[in-house]
This record gives sequence, C-alpha cells and structure tokens, in this order.
Amino acid sequence: MRDPKLDLLQELGNIGAGHAATALSQMLDGQKKLQLIVPEAKLIPFEAAANIMEGTEEEPVVGIYIHVSGDAHGHMAFILPLDSAMAAAELLTLDSTGELNEMALSALQEMGNIMITSYLNALSSMTDLTLTPSVPGVAVDMAGAVWQSILAGAQVAEQVTLIKTDFYTDDDPVGGHILFLPDEDDFERIARILGLGALG
Amino acid sequence: MKEVFVNMGQIRVLRQEGTLVTVGLGSCIGVALYDRYTKVGAMAHIFLGRSRNPAEASKLPGKYADTGIPALVDAALKAGAQKNRLEAKIAGGAHLFPNISAPESGVGHQNIAAVREQLAKARVPITGHATSGNHGRKMRLAIDSGQVTVTAIGQQPMEI
Repeated sequence: MRDPKLDLLQELGNIGAGHAATALSQMLDGQKKLQLIVPEAKLIPFEAAANIMEGTEEEPVVGIYIHVSGDAHGHMAFILPLDSAMAAAELLTLDSTGELNEMALSALQEMGNIMITSYLNALSSMTDLTLTPSVPGVAVDMAGAVWQSILAGAQVAEQVTLIKTDFYTDDDPVGGHILFLPDEDDFERIARILGLGALG
Repeated sequence: MKEVFVNMGQIRVLRQEGTLVTVGLGSCIGVALYDRYTKVGAMAHIFLGRSRNPAEASKLPGKYADTGIPALVDAALKAGAQKNRLEAKIAGGAHLFPNISAPESGVGHQNIAAVREQLAKARVPITGHATSGNHGRKMRLAIDSGQVTVTAIGQQPMEI
C-alpha cells in the first residue's frame, strides 16, 4: 500500500513541474521545447539522498535555492550544470560573451525564481495552502557542495521525501533538475486534511 | 594507489598508504585525523553539529559532530593510532547562499563550532584548517605523508 502523502506529493510534483516548465519555456521565448522527466515522489534514506549527485559531485553547477514557509514548509532548488546555465543565460540575456558575469547570474537567479514560484503557485492553488518562497539564493560551485548545503539547510534526518524533476531541451544543452524537499509532517497533515488518508 | 571516498556521514580509515578523499564539502566539514608515527589516517564527512535522535545517530554516527568525532577518534585508535599523537585538520563549513541567511546563523558556522568543540573535548589538536567562506571544497589526506590538500573551483590546491 502506497503512502497517501507520497501520492499527493507525486501529483503536486507533476503539476508543479509542468507549470515550472511552461514558465521556463515562455522565458526562453518559446524557442526551446522542454522535455520533462516526470518526477516520482520517493521517501528515501539519507544516504541515498546524499548520493543523488554521485559521479558529478565535482562538476560545476549553478544552484538556485529557496526555502518555503507558510502553511507548509519545504526546500526547493533548481540545479543546472554550468554549460547548461551558460546556454540558458545566453538565451535569456542575448549576450554571447560566454562568461557567467553578474548579468548572466542575475538572469539565472530570476529564471530559477520564476520556475520555483510557478511550481509553488500550482501547489497553492491545488491545495488552497499559502506557500511563501524566500528570496532566492544562488551559488556557482561543485554540484556536491551545492546539494549538500541544501540537504543541511533542510536538516535531513533519517529519511527524506524527494521530488526530483529532470528537464532538458531537444536540441540545445539546456537542462537541469528541480528538487523539492517537502517537510514530512506538514504534508502528512495536508494529506489527511484532503481526505487522502482514507483512500489508502 | 588506493583512493577511498568518504561520503556524507561516513567514517573511513587507512593505514600506511592510499588516499582518503571527500568531495562536495559545502556547509559540511571534512575532518582528517592522522598519527605520523604509525601512519594511520581517518576521515569523516560531518553533516550537522548535533544529533537529535540517538537511535538515528547510532546508525550513522559520522553524520553529526557530537557522535562523529568520538567515533572517528575510536576508529583511528582501533587501527593502531595513539591518542597523544593524533592531530586533526578540518575543511568546509562554508556558507553557499549568503543572501538567504547571515553566515553566523548558517549551518556551516554552527558545524565549525561543533567540530572544534568536539575535537577540544577529545583533546585532539587542530593543526590545519580551511573553513568558512562561501565556496565548496574537496579534501584529500595522503596516508604515507599525512599531507592534507584542499581544492576549490578556480583556486590552486592548498596544503593545510
């Protein structure tokens, strides 16, 4: 029997990621067709969460991180490999200097912010919850260090629910992950309020 | 030569030769213990300062400074190190997202304080460090020499 909370989060993840992808596609002027790898909401042990960047820990990435407060808490991140971030920045700023300058970084931060807030807005309107995003933090660093800092910010204990959506464009090297770490207890409560517990 | 990776929460020990490596240190702290005489090296990758649930911490003691440092010292002693010869080098404790919270309230800062406190409690001196700041790090301990090297993106490797 599957946990009703995971079913809820799975559904929220699908819709949230769909909205985020639409927002990104609009930002890129519809020039790029985005493909999503549909997320699976999974409750995973700490060690598995710690290793999701395995093999790419030392690769440079751009990470945009937001924490969520309001009726339910959680942590959201948008992580792009550096070359992908450069390609996205170039499309956003029409600047092809090939460096990640301040303008490019702020465009990426805004892109991450819009994607994450679109995701959250979709969750809010489905559940009638108030979900408030923090200001976005942005870091350019090793994938492992970025991911580790997000897990530590979430104070992950023995296990964690993780909803990870991978996206990519057909023809261009723009791709990355949207990660959502919802607070366990909050979403347990929400699943109950929505009457999902009875479906089990 | 043998390279052993230390993942988040793990503790690993090597003797005589090989390298202990930990990557992706953001707010986490890499702790390297070394006994020059017996060439025993031990490394931990500490995630948070304090454990809250003893049952959880006992499954993966290396995850928290309060359980991890005693476990790391034990592991080194079991492999033949002698307590009064142990020295520690630490790296990490960075604050990658400075616009979200002040560095002083961040996990990295708390981790540095907790690791220093636990090492003092265990009476292991800290002989080198590369901590705080806002960038990630990788740490290597060469067992034959005791040399600890810290690398970061866009920087020269640094011996601490």
